[in-house]
Amino acid sequence: MTDRTTASVADLERRFGDPWDPGNPTGHAAVLAADEAGEMLTAGERLLDDYGLNAEFVPPDLGGRLTRLDHLIEVLRVVFRHDPCLGLGYGASSLIPAVNVWTAGDERQRRRMADVLLAGGRAVSGYHELAHGNDFARAEFSALPGDDGRLRLNGRKEVIANAERAEAMVLFARTSAAPGSRSHSQLYVEKADLPAGAPVHLPRFHSAGMRGVQLGGLEFRDCPVPADAVLGAPGLGVETALRSFQITRTALPAMTAGILETGLEVTARFAEERVLYGRSLAQMPYIRSILADAFTDLLICDCLATVTARAVHLLPGETSLYASAAKYFVATLLMDAMDALSRVLGAQFYLRDGGYGIFQKHLRDLAPAGFGHAARVACLSTVLPQLPRLARKGWLDDTQPPTGVFQIDADLPPLPFGRLSVGSGGRDALSASLSAALGSPELDGELRRLVLVIAAEQADVRRECAALTPADLSVAARPEALRLAARYAAVLAATACVNVWLHNQERHDAFLGDPHWAVAALGRIAERVGRDPGQRSRHLTERLASEVLARHRDRRGFGLSNRRLP
Amino acid sequence: MKVTGPLIDTGRVDLAGFDRALGDPADPAALLSYARSAELDRDESFPADICRELDRMGLPRLYVPAEFGGALTRYDELVAALRAVARRDLTVAIGHGKTFLGGVCVWLAGRAEQAHELGADIVAGAPVSWGLTERGHGSDLLAGETTATPEPGGFRVNGEKWLINNATRGTLLCLLVRTRPEGGPRGFSLLLADKRRLAADRWRPLPKVPTHGIRGADISGIALEDCPFPADALIGEQGAGMEIVLKALQLTRTACTALSLGAADQAVRLAEEFATGRELYGRRLIDLPHVRRVLGEAYAALHAAEIVSVLAARSVHTLPREMTVISAMAKSYVPARADELIAACGELLGARAFLTEVHEHGAFQKLERDHRVVGIFDGSTFVNQHVLINHFPLLVRGHREGSADEEAVRRTADLSAPPPPARLDRLSLLARGGCSLTQSLHSASGELRALASADQAPARVADLAEELTDSCDRLHHELALSPPASHDVQPDAFALARRYEDCFAGAAALRVWLHNRTPGEDPLWLEAVLTYVLRSLRPPGRPTDGEVFDRLFDARTAGRPSAPPTSVVTS
Repeated sequence: MTDRTTASVADLERRFGDPWDPGNPTGHAAVLAADEAGEMLTAGERLLDDYGLNAEFVPPDLGGRLTRLDHLIEVLRVVFRHDPCLGLGYGASSLIPAVNVWTAGDERQRRRMADVLLAGGRAVSGYHELAHGNDFARAEFSALPGDDGRLRLNGRKEVIANAERAEAMVLFARTSAAPGSRSHSQLYVEKADLPAGAPVHLPRFHSAGMRGVQLGGLEFRDCPVPADAVLGAPGLGVETALRSFQITRTALPAMTAGILETGLEVTARFAEERVLYGRSLAQMPYIRSILADAFTDLLICDCLATVTARAVHLLPGETSLYASAAKYFVATLLMDAMDALSRVLGAQFYLRDGGYGIFQKHLRDLAPAGFGHAARVACLSTVLPQLPRLARKGWLDDTQPPTGVFQIDADLPPLPFGRLSVGSGGRDALSASLSAALGSPELDGELRRLVLVIAAEQADVRRECAALTPADLSVAARPEALRLAARYAAVLAATACVNVWLHNQERHDAFLGDPHWAVAALGRIAERVGRDPGQRSRHLTERLASEVLARHRDRRGFGLSNRRLP
Repeated sequence: MKVTGPLIDTGRVDLAGFDRALGDPADPAALLSYARSAELDRDESFPADICRELDRMGLPRLYVPAEFGGALTRYDELVAALRAVARRDLTVAIGHGKTFLGGVCVWLAGRAEQAHELGADIVAGAPVSWGLTERGHGSDLLAGETTATPEPGGFRVNGEKWLINNATRGTLLCLLVRTRPEGGPRGFSLLLADKRRLAADRWRPLPKVPTHGIRGADISGIALEDCPFPADALIGEQGAGMEIVLKALQLTRTACTALSLGAADQAVRLAEEFATGRELYGRRLIDLPHVRRVLGEAYAALHAAEIVSVLAARSVHTLPREMTVISAMAKSYVPARADELIAACGELLGARAFLTEVHEHGAFQKLERDHRVVGIFDGSTFVNQHVLINHFPLLVRGHREGSADEEAVRRTADLSAPPPPARLDRLSLLARGGCSLTQSLHSASGELRALASADQAPARVADLAEELTDSCDRLHHELALSPPASHDVQPDAFALARRYEDCFAGAAALRVWLHNRTPGEDPLWLEAVLTYVLRSLRPPGRPTDGEVFDRLFDARTAGRPSAPPTSVVTS
């Protein structure tokens, strides 16, 4: 992380304080109490007001701090680590609509959105209708011209975070009756600019997790909007969304990794405290292997998320591919790892109170990672149609990405909102860096062997992508075709891991510089794609388990940054 | 639906009528409707009126063996009844079914008079609880600190049992207590606590513990302070507590798999109904290939799980001496496969698996939270795999010596024939002969090959059976190389245990098909289950073609459902 990021993260952590202190107004006990009540943690929202979290969502030229996506992720991860409800309900729920405005809005719209956020206000992302889910292109919500030529809003948006209290809305609407992909637009609308009584707020939707987040709905009946509500030119609704997704599909799961950090923390604590057959659970090899695996999965997520986030800055034309692949893979690993940890906790996982009660809240809060903002299969469906062109052309080009994409601390140019493209344009520089890693003399032994295993998978994936037919690329794709997209994502993750290891040796982080974690990471990824990772040495598992327990005792984070917690 | 007399009565167990009387949960007027279940869950209220109605239907009789005044003669019937309740609402199934767990120790070891009295209480509707665990000790029963000091006339009990289902609601509790200060395998005994007879100032209930799922259930505890117990509260011999409990667990773990089956039934139904009605991208979700694949796999998983569960229940009758490993495998395998199936079905539902008031009153998120407890209680997956790991040497020896009781295996798997009476005195702490079902894989796959040669079955299914048999043989070679049991069990051992469960499931499926088939019957469901099992068993690098799951699902859609006789799937 940069010094600026380190300072922000440290500041935020200090404000949150020790989560295990029962008297801490933003500690685990308080977070759980808010969850039981189904409300946002008021002390937490005040904390984030004081910190000025909304500034993290606003570009610098508009007065905010959104300079780097990896920085944004690190900051929001702190919030998710303490309370995912705050992370989503205070943070990410405003980020999603805001990114659409930064991407496609005009001067006035960008200024207005920035002003709302910087004043502590909120925005909602109005894509979702229960009848259409991820198929937002079929959205019925419309903004069609009335007799006076003004656009009139008709329809409902449902399961919208902060629907009731948000001041600003970015609404995805049908703006033309013609079929096709140019019939939708996004509109930036502030409630204050609407007639009294509009919108009608629908009753709150209650949920099993993220219980504090107010999930509401908005209904409009023939509601006129100001003429300048459309974001960008009319008909660019889908295009704007797809471009914005590259930032949000990258950022959201990455922030959500904070949940797994807490999961690891709680499980490590339990394992050390719980005695079974005369020793602590933490001394049992099987328990240690589960901790090691979950830790490895977190590092994989961190590598893939970090590299993808940096790629948004450095390879903006290609991130349509990477962002959806990353969302799919990261969400999958996070959910599987939390499930595995829950089995270590056993009965203690199932209690909503007690010393480890915070775990089950985080587990429930994680669930939207699988379906929220884009279901996993929708992410695969974004990746899949891009693969044949890559197989024919893009993957034959072995031009390397800038090494800055892997160097965690290196500078980044400003977020290129204007250069995010709808598709990857048939380019995929990141994938070329897998075989390039083999050319590095530092890569030897077990890590080299595993890179070769992944490279074999990459070769198979490329061969099979070349054989895909048009029928294979639609939503009615065969499972095997969708699986190709999933395998592509896995190879991308492995590529990120080995290159993060290779290109960050100068960080003088003993753990990161050691190849063990990368060996473990590639081994787990190989298993996921059905390849034999070879016998994992007990020594390796031991090293990782020891690291988990050491970080727990030393109060350090479990991610790549290995930072000290207050 | 009004019921005139008990559907479950001594000598007459009308499971079909019971299932009908439970009604369709989608019907708001049903006894166990999605609407009512959601309300009770939201309020964390115990489903008392539903349980009273189940009492009237006679379900408690199925928790009491016939010889003690109940209707329980077949453990597969108990599984079927619990599955039917669980299919509607897991909180109800767990809250009501706990009484079976509470009574088992008395059926195994109690005095005849004691058992008859308890049986009468249960039939009259008294809930019974099982007090094994304590705060801080979890599944480590030998660490139990609730003491029972012998004294003239009986015992004096001190301690707390905690995280006990129905501890407060229960009229009676079967308590595991330490009768020798130094503890150890002979240091524990069982006492039947009858709250109606205990000194009121010497015990108190512990508060309800809020839980992730089964929110309405009574998960609480009991604290006993210098509480006198009469001598006749003792169940079985003093010092025999641990042994009785371990045998009781062989029955309760088996019965609990019914909960997973019911949950899985409901999950698949909710997913399938949603996918049928849902239009996305201009077509029905259920017409999308990846959705059909997920549902096809879910059916294969469900069939594998129900076969293991039903055969485990019948094995109480036919292979009692193997129940320690059979129950451990069933309790480890079935809830874990159900958890996976539920997650896959939930993904199809998307937000509707997360919201509490949309789509069947949020039934899915309740069932998902409720079901997570099944893999945790009554011996978690971890604990049960440990039991299996400790048996590796006996499993290896049995496999090598080929001591399988093949006749018993046939009687277990032939579902048309009622099993012989259960002889609970034949339950054993060690399965000295290993596992007959896996040992007899060779002869089972040989039978299938013979059928294939006679054009009575496709050769490719015989191939799968032979692959399973080879895999099982290889597994036993690896088990033989596994280090002796100790508390430092390596992760590899748990992977081996999982493979054993897979072999067991595959062997069970093969036997069920062989012994229940109609001539010329297409073994499509068997092919799907064997493929499902082998996908887990195959070493990495050997991918599995999932198209059989598509064929399985297509058969359902076309009105030619292919399902084992254990299935409750309706076409």
